[in-house]
Amino acid sequence: MSSPEVSDAQLIARALVGDDRHAFAELVRRHQSSVRACLRKLTAGNHALADDLSQETFVLAWRNLKSFRQEARFSTWLYRIATNCWLADARKRKEELLGDRDEALGEAEADDTMVGGSAHGDHAGSSALKLDLERAMAVLTEGERAAIVQCYHNDLTHEEAAYVLDCPVGTVKTHVLRGKQKLKLALAAWAPTET
Amino acid sequence: MNRNMNPIPGTEPIASNSAPTSPRDWLDDILNSEARDERSSYIADAGFTARVMHALPVPLTLPAWRKPAIVALWGVALAGISLALPSAALDVVREGYRLIGAQPVSLSGMVGALLLAGTLSWTAAAYALRESE
Repeated sequence: MSSPEVSDAQLIARALVGDDRHAFAELVRRHQSSVRACLRKLTAGNHALADDLSQETFVLAWRNLKSFRQEARFSTWLYRIATNCWLADARKRKEELLGDRDEALGEAEADDTMVGGSAHGDHAGSSALKLDLERAMAVLTEGERAAIVQCYHNDLTHEEAAYVLDCPVGTVKTHVLRGKQKLKLALAAWAPTET
Repeated sequence: MNRNMNPIPGTEPIASNSAPTSPRDWLDDILNSEARDERSSYIADAGFTARVMHALPVPLTLPAWRKPAIVALWGVALAGISLALPSAALDVVREGYRLIGAQPVSLSGMVGALLLAGTLSWTAAAYALRESE
């Protein structure tokens, strides 16, 4: 097991030069949480699918490690692979994906009667907001959702998000703006009342 | 997004992810708060890394007997050709010796060849190192 002070770059070099699988395992251990969280967000809370895609992401990362030129952080590069995996999967089985999500949301909604309520601050209100946000995110197009997740959830700059989404910075800004407009409409019940 | 949030209301940079519509955008607050919550909650590995490592492609390892077997096959093939066409094989050996073995080798020629080989090796090494940086 590698010591914590070993940088990602050193681990990558070890994995590349010596085909060191232990070094790559350490990289997986370090980044699995953020990659899985990102994919959970992109898949609208489908944890099983997110974990499958996360696994695919790391396998692809291992196969393409030679092409990683250190022009971005390793985590950003992983987000890029993860987003591509998600987009490919979403296009492949769109209907199935929507069906699962609706079912999951329906079950969650049955247990929670405070959806869209005004109980800000307490736990029930917070989970209701989470659920509403998840549902609202599902309404967005793939590009808008990906842009919002990268810019907010993954805390990337517009430039980094453009690298992840492989599109111009202007497109990212447009996706974020349009996505937020749609989210505002969908989450209008959560807007603070003007006094 | 925390990194891009400007502490001074009304002076948000254009590149900021915060919406330019109002100094305090309620949707930004919601998205930032949600992102903060999720970033702070670490997803436990719970065997994930092991599953990934198990799913990695198996390294291509050639069996130990492969190299000697190939050498032996070449030997058998060459011996077969020599036996089948003895005069042709003899001609090939004679011509090969005449071309390479019977050439007079001077000291300056050897030094020149060594220098050329060394220069080529070092140039190739320097180029490869420059590419990998």
